[in-house]
Amino acid sequence: MKHTLEMRNIVKRFPGVLANNNVNLTIQAGEIHALLGENGAGKSTLMQILYGFHSMDSGEILIDGERVRLGSPKDAIALGIGMVHQEFMLVRRFSVVENTVLGLREGGALLDLQRASEKLKELSNRHGLALDPAAIVGSLPIGVQQRVEILKLLYRDARLLILDEPTAVLTPQEKDQLFAVLRKLREDGRSVVLVTHKLAEIMEIADRVTVMRDGQVVATRMIGSTSGQELTRLMVGREVNLRADKSNQKAGAPILQIEELRVQDETGHEKVRGLSLEVHAGEILGIAGVDGNGQSELAEAIMHLREIESGRVLLKGTEVTRLSVAQHRAAGISYVPADRRHVGSVTEMSVADNAILGLQRKYTRGLFRGIREARESALGLVTRFGIRTAGIDFAAGKLSGGNLQKLILGREIMRGSAALIVEHPTRGLDVGAVEAVWGELLRARQEGKAILLISAELEELLNLADRIAVMFEGRIMGVVDAAGASVEEIGLMMAGIAPGAAPAAGRQIKETRHGETL
Amino acid sequence: MAKLFERRLTPADSPLAIFATTAGAFLAAMFVTSFLFLSYDASPFQAYFALFHEPFGTLRGFGYSLVRTSPLALIALGTIVSWRSGFSYLGFEGCFVIGASATAWLALLTAPGARIGPLPFFLFLPLAIVFGFVAAGIWAGLVGLVRARLGGNEVLISLMSNYVAIFILQYLVSGPMRAPGSLPETKLLPRSTWLPFIIPGTRAHAGILIAIAAAILVWMLLQKMPLGYELIVTGFNASAARYAGIDVGRRILLAAFFAGGLGGLAGMVEVLGSQHRVMDGISGGVGFVGIIVALLARLNPVAVIPTALLYGGMSVGADAMQRRVSIPSSITFILQSLAVLLVSAFDALRYYKINFSVFSRRTPPPVAEEVSK
Repeated sequence: MKHTLEMRNIVKRFPGVLANNNVNLTIQAGEIHALLGENGAGKSTLMQILYGFHSMDSGEILIDGERVRLGSPKDAIALGIGMVHQEFMLVRRFSVVENTVLGLREGGALLDLQRASEKLKELSNRHGLALDPAAIVGSLPIGVQQRVEILKLLYRDARLLILDEPTAVLTPQEKDQLFAVLRKLREDGRSVVLVTHKLAEIMEIADRVTVMRDGQVVATRMIGSTSGQELTRLMVGREVNLRADKSNQKAGAPILQIEELRVQDETGHEKVRGLSLEVHAGEILGIAGVDGNGQSELAEAIMHLREIESGRVLLKGTEVTRLSVAQHRAAGISYVPADRRHVGSVTEMSVADNAILGLQRKYTRGLFRGIREARESALGLVTRFGIRTAGIDFAAGKLSGGNLQKLILGREIMRGSAALIVEHPTRGLDVGAVEAVWGELLRARQEGKAILLISAELEELLNLADRIAVMFEGRIMGVVDAAGASVEEIGLMMAGIAPGAAPAAGRQIKETRHGETL
Repeated sequence: MAKLFERRLTPADSPLAIFATTAGAFLAAMFVTSFLFLSYDASPFQAYFALFHEPFGTLRGFGYSLVRTSPLALIALGTIVSWRSGFSYLGFEGCFVIGASATAWLALLTAPGARIGPLPFFLFLPLAIVFGFVAAGIWAGLVGLVRARLGGNEVLISLMSNYVAIFILQYLVSGPMRAPGSLPETKLLPRSTWLPFIIPGTRAHAGILIAIAAAILVWMLLQKMPLGYELIVTGFNASAARYAGIDVGRRILLAAFFAGGLGGLAGMVEVLGSQHRVMDGISGGVGFVGIIVALLARLNPVAVIPTALLYGGMSVGADAMQRRVSIPSSITFILQSLAVLLVSAFDALRYYKINFSVFSRRTPPPVAEEVSK
């Protein structure tokens, strides 16, 4: 049984944009096909057409040479096409098996979870996806939740699995497990479309790669006959240097000191557990870690956006622990939050209004707003940071992720603060924007700012940071020099295994963690 | 396959699009209401003529329209301040009676022989404005306090607070402030405290000037002042506001105070300009119609004045309609409510654009042509 999927001459217009312009894509049975492209290149649109989310304006989709109609995700699933979204579509309070059968109506009015569990167990054994059907999804680690999503598709016997940025939330070890699963699926004759912009992963696992730019396919290559360099050039349309050139520079005096900080989340769980750090002038201190290990809480606590249980935060030797957010900003700490659309900016307001967010009491004329000065500074940001926008009266929410991030980062850098906290600055950004953000962070470092860089991307930390502190369950597992750091060592620490522990011990811990989920 | 109506990703938000959909909704509401007129065997044209001729076609009627406009506009402005700050306050009926009672109390104190004694009007008016504003501002501020400090739901609490305020009023006019006589109402306020009439031969009083001044001040606050910027940021996105160093709790408290204060001014204007005494039932739903006006004006302080004039005029015209073509004036309320419903519904239209190219068959969209071969 062969299943070849062909998308021919797909055209999709949105008002003002040609999202897909005559796109052709062929996916063979039993291949892992990477779809590479910057944000806005049209790859999500293409996949959403394939998954029945969007209708196409023209073009056709064929399975084994036969034309098919995809009016809704239901049609797609019936044809064996399934998708794992970046944000998992799971009911957190339901068990694995309940999530799996959701929407299926196999037994008519009666729900036979027993039978479903058995089928699920059989599937998970066959594909090497260890999983307990009765476990409550909300209690499972992210990597395991992803397995649930994949199993959901296999349960529906999907022949083609679309995975949208599947590794964004995984530790290196979880990523390896995912790739093992994908290889098994390939052996099984199923096809996988990997939507991503991580070149290293494409080179590691894909068989073929299709590169999209500006709504068009620019090339399809066998992995063996291409290189990361070529793919980047195809994707961006020019040469890109993603090896950041970090100048050699000695760190200065300590600027930001954190002593024995303890912070809880809304539910009263301790998320930061007695953490101490020091960031020096002209230094980037990276914080590595899987999401949810207290990094966000740490950043918010430093700004006092979150209540602090105990511990101290010092800026240039002066305690600022419990000052208000406005006082933190005035004292000289800037913050680029992880959520640029819901925290870092007000998407309904204009670029000009967002350029003074947090500075609204600075741009004044007596009782009134200094609107002209604010607009001038906004124009300055737009030119200095190369923000692509239709104008400063344009709603900030309509900017692309990269341009919005440049706006926020630019605003926070231009405040002239001594310390800068940056959280996931390049998450979801395309290569061109990543390059720009990295450049700006290094420039700020050169200007002598003390930068705390929280990121889940090891590549980013290894490129930018001078030192990398690995955070696990609210504690620092260890601090390494970025220059001599190994990915394996950091990866183990991200999984909670202290440096220097015997490898055997490491495996044991992994196995028991595994056991918990079984 | 171009469609006549093509869906947009984001709604058209040009002033023209907004005005066109609002006006279209209003006309549609009038069209639907026509059928109600038919059920009374009245011609819709005659009915609408009666409805709009009296308030906008006669000087006397126009004066009455202005009298109804002022409190509506002030309450709409209060709605704008609170709602744009993310504080969904619905307690304007209460603010209105609190402001009215406070002003009446102050005015009665300036009666000859009362505790303060007669004051010149130019001294009394600022005092009355501050007094009415602060009293109702504190009243609404209490709800703000519950929301900001304890996380209470301001929609429910402010709605219920209306009843409390009305009970307070009933107590006052049947107890401590009751004038000798059979009706639960206060004494007539001293003439020296009345707002001056501004159009000879009509009941139009200076309250409309206070409303216009308030509209300008609210516009300046929201558009031109850093505090207004902070209020709007708070309203759009409280997390972003906190991140920007804005004390969200205090801003909400302030928004509640301003909103209540404007509601109190509405009561003051009604008492000093039109009723000249306070009685049970003085508010008569104006606290809710004011919210409707704000919604219809799309929370824009400048658009509030004409919208309030339209609604104020319609309530005057309703009576004329009842007299002239004997249609119950309550139909006007149906029309007013329908207008709000349809204005919200018509917003969906801004998600579509009309593809005029459908009509000119000769030029199909270029890309489709390329592809179909």
